Amino acid sequence: MAGGYLVPIALIAIVLACAAIAGIVRRLVRVSLLLTLPIAISVILVSALTRPGETVLLVLGPFDITLEGVDFAGQTLVRLFAISTAIGLFTLSTDPRAFVFDLERRGLSPRFAFAVAATIEAVPALASRAGVIAAAQRSRGLDTEGSPLTRIRGVLPLVGPVLLSSLAEVEERSLALEVRAFGRPGRRQLLWWPPDRPRERVARWLLVAALAGLVAARVLGAWPAIP
Amino acid sequence: MAGMNGGADGAAAAAIEVAADSARAAAGANGPAAAAIEVAGLVHVYPDGTRALDGVDLRVVAGESVAIVGQNGSGKTTLARHLNGLLRPTEGVVRIQGRDVAGARVARLAAVVGLAFQDPDQQIFAGRVRAEVTFGPRNLGMRGPDLDDAVADALAAVDLASAVDAIPYDLGYPRRKLLAIASVLAMRTPIVILDEPTTGQDLRGATSVREIVRRLTAEGRTVLAISHDLRFVAETFGRVVVMREGQIVLDGGPAEVFDAAAWPALASTYLEPPLAARVGAYLGLGSTPTEGALVEALGAASRP
Amino acid sequence: MLELRGATYRYAGYAHPVLHEMDLALRDGEIVGLVGATEAGKSTICLVASGLAPLSIGGELRGEVLIDGQPTTRLSVHELAQWVVIGFQDPATQRSGVAATVFEEVALGPMNLGLPVAETLARTRRALATLRIEHLADRHPARLSGGQGQLVAMAGLLAMGPRHVVLDEPTAQLDPEGSKLVAAALRDLAATGAALLIAEQRTDVLDRLCDRVAVVDGGRIVLDGPAAATLEDPRLGGWGVEPPARVRLAGALAARGLPSLADLGWPA
Repeated sequence: MAGGYLVPIALIAIVLACAAIAGIVRRLVRVSLLLTLPIAISVILVSALTRPGETVLLVLGPFDITLEGVDFAGQTLVRLFAISTAIGLFTLSTDPRAFVFDLERRGLSPRFAFAVAATIEAVPALASRAGVIAAAQRSRGLDTEGSPLTRIRGVLPLVGPVLLSSLAEVEERSLALEVRAFGRPGRRQLLWWPPDRPRERVARWLLVAALAGLVAARVLGAWPAIP
Repeated sequence: MAGMNGGADGAAAAAIEVAADSARAAAGANGPAAAAIEVAGLVHVYPDGTRALDGVDLRVVAGESVAIVGQNGSGKTTLARHLNGLLRPTEGVVRIQGRDVAGARVARLAAVVGLAFQDPDQQIFAGRVRAEVTFGPRNLGMRGPDLDDAVADALAAVDLASAVDAIPYDLGYPRRKLLAIASVLAMRTPIVILDEPTTGQDLRGATSVREIVRRLTAEGRTVLAISHDLRFVAETFGRVVVMREGQIVLDGGPAEVFDAAAWPALASTYLEPPLAARVGAYLGLGSTPTEGALVEALGAASRP
Repeated sequence: MLELRGATYRYAGYAHPVLHEMDLALRDGEIVGLVGATEAGKSTICLVASGLAPLSIGGELRGEVLIDGQPTTRLSVHELAQWVVIGFQDPATQRSGVAATVFEEVALGPMNLGLPVAETLARTRRALATLRIEHLADRHPARLSGGQGQLVAMAGLLAMGPRHVVLDEPTAQLDPEGSKLVAAALRDLAATGAALLIAEQRTDVLDRLCDRVAVVDGGRIVLDGPAAATLEDPRLGGWGVEPPARVRLAGALAARGLPSLADLGWPA
C-alpha cells in the first residue's frame, strides 16, 4: 500500500526542489492547490465514502468509510498533486515568449508562433475591455449588483459589445499585421531566442532516455503495476 | 471677467455674458443655490498605486454647463466616473443633488446622472438603433408613451430619427457616437456627462453635439463634458475646469480661463488656448476666447 | 509614383461602389492631404491606394492602381508592403501584441520580411531615430500614451522601407499633445523622401504640411490643388470639411469688412 505513495511523493519533492531553485515555491503551491483542490475534494468524497473494503473505520449514515477507500483517495490525491505541480513548474518558470521564440527557431511556423504569443497576451486585454463595457452598461441603468437573477440578466448586454467590438477590431488588426508582411511565407531571422547550454541539452537527452526506459520497463513487465 | 475686457466690455458676445454670469453665480454661491454636484477633497488611488485624483474640490450648480479639460492622465475621466458611482473615493466625498453617493448603486444613480462613454462600441449592443436607445430608459422604469417620447426626442436631438430601424454597425463611427449619446439622452437625467463627445466626430456631428449641449442647458439640465477640443469648449460651455495631474488648476468662464493671464497655468498642462484667444491677446483686445468674441472685439475697436 | 486611374471600388457585400472613377496621383516625395466628410470615401481611398482593397478585404475594383506604371493587383500583400504601407487611427489595433518592447515592435516588420539580423537592426534603429523615439525603445508598447503609440506604429511602418505611406486619420483619437507629436512626426516622415497621403478631418494638421490637398465628396474627387488654395476654398463647408482655424477667422473678418489677420500684424 505504501508503495503507491512513494513515487508520487518523490516526484513532488523533486519538483518542489526545482521550484525552490527557481524561487517560485509559494506561487507553485498556490497554483497547484487552486488547480487540484476542486477535483481532489470530489475524488476524496467519492472514494472514501463509497469504495468497498474490508476494514471499516467509520459509519456515516448509509456510507461505510473503509480503510481501503481512504487509502485509494490518498493515493489519487498525491498523484493529482504530482501532476499539477509538474505542470505548474513548467508554466510558472517559462517565459511564454521565450518558449515561442525557441519553438520558432526550431522550425515552428512564425504564424503559429504568433498565434500562441498573441493568445497569451490577449487575455488581460479582453478582461480589461470587458470591464469598461460593464461600466458603460451600468451607467445606463444595468443592474449588476443585486440578486443572482439580476446579475445573470445583467450579463446579456455585456456579451454583445465585448464580442462585437472585439470582432470589429479584428479586421483592422489583421490589416495592420498584413501591412507588416505577417502573411509572408517562409522563415524569419529572429533577433533573439533563449540560449541553449550544453548541460541543458544533456539534461534533456537524459530525460528522454529515462522516459524511454520507464516505458520499456513497464511494457516488459519489469515495473510493478500499481493497484 | 467682463470687467477685465475694459473697452471691449460691451462687445463680448451675449452668449459669453450669460455663461459668465452663471459661472460667477456658481463660484460665489454658498447658500441656497441648489448644488447638483458637490465634490470635496476627492482623492482617488487606483489599485496599482496611481494617484489619479489628488484633492479635488468642485461645486456645480443645477443648470450649469461645465467642460472638464486636460491631457490624458490628468484625472478628468476618473473624476467623471466618481459622479455616477462607478468609482468610489479613496478619500473625500461626492454629493449628487445633496446626497452622498457612497454606497449608492450605479444603476440607481443612473436615474440622476447619465454618462456617455467615449467609445460607442463599448456600449452599443442592440441589433437596431431603436432598441439601443430604448435600453437605458427602460432600465429606469419608463414604459409606454413616456418611453416612446423619450426615444423619439433623443433620436431627433442627434438627427438619427431617420435611422431608427438601422443596424448600429451600418452607421459610421461619428453617427455611432451620436447614437451612444442619444441612448443616454433618452434617460432624461437631470445631469448629463459626455466623455469626449467631439473626438472622432465630423463637422456635421460636432455641430449636432453643440446643439445638444445648448438644448440641454436651455432645458435646465446640468451638462458636463470631458473634452480636449478647446475651441468646442470655448464656444459651448459657460465654465471651464482645467485639470493637471489629479488637481484642478483653473476654474472659471472661458473668457477667464483663456485670458492671457491664465496662459502659464494652461501651458503647464500642455494645452494651447484657441487661436481666437491668442490673436485677441496679441492685438491687445482683452480676452476673446471664441472667434465670435474676437470678431466682435475687432469690430468694436475699429468703430470710430 | 502611386496612381489611381479611373478607380471604382465596391466593398464585398455592398450593392453600390463607394469610389467612382477616381483619379489621384502621389508623386515621389509629395505630401498630399485628403479631406472630406465621413463616409465620403477617404478611408476607402486609403485602402485602395495601399492595395489592401481588394487584395486583403476583397470587393471589386475597376480601373487601375499603379506603382511606377505597374498594376498592384499582381503583387501579394507582403510584396506590396515594401512599396506602400498604411497606418490607421487607433494605436491599439496597430500593436502586434507580441512585442515586449518598442524596439521589438518596430523590428517586427523587417523580421517578417525575412531580412538578416543586421539589416533588421539597422532599419529599426533608423526608424526610431527618424521619428525621435529612441528614448522609448525599451518601453512596453501597451504602456504608452496615444500619441506615443501612434509614433511607434509609424516607426513600424517606416521600418518596412516603403516609398509611399498612407495614413488614415492619424490624429483622430489623440489628445492635443498627441496630435502635436504626430504632426511633428509627419514632417520627419516626409523628410525621409517617402511620399505621404494623409486623410484627416483636422485640417489644421494638414495646413502648412501638405503640398497638395484633395477633397473627396460622394466617392469622387471634387477639388485637387495646391494645399493653401484648397484649404482656403469657400466651398469646403458645403463638402462637410471644416477649414483650418486661420481660414475660418479670415473668413469671419472679411465678412464683417474688417482688416485681415495679416493686415493686423498677426504673424503668418
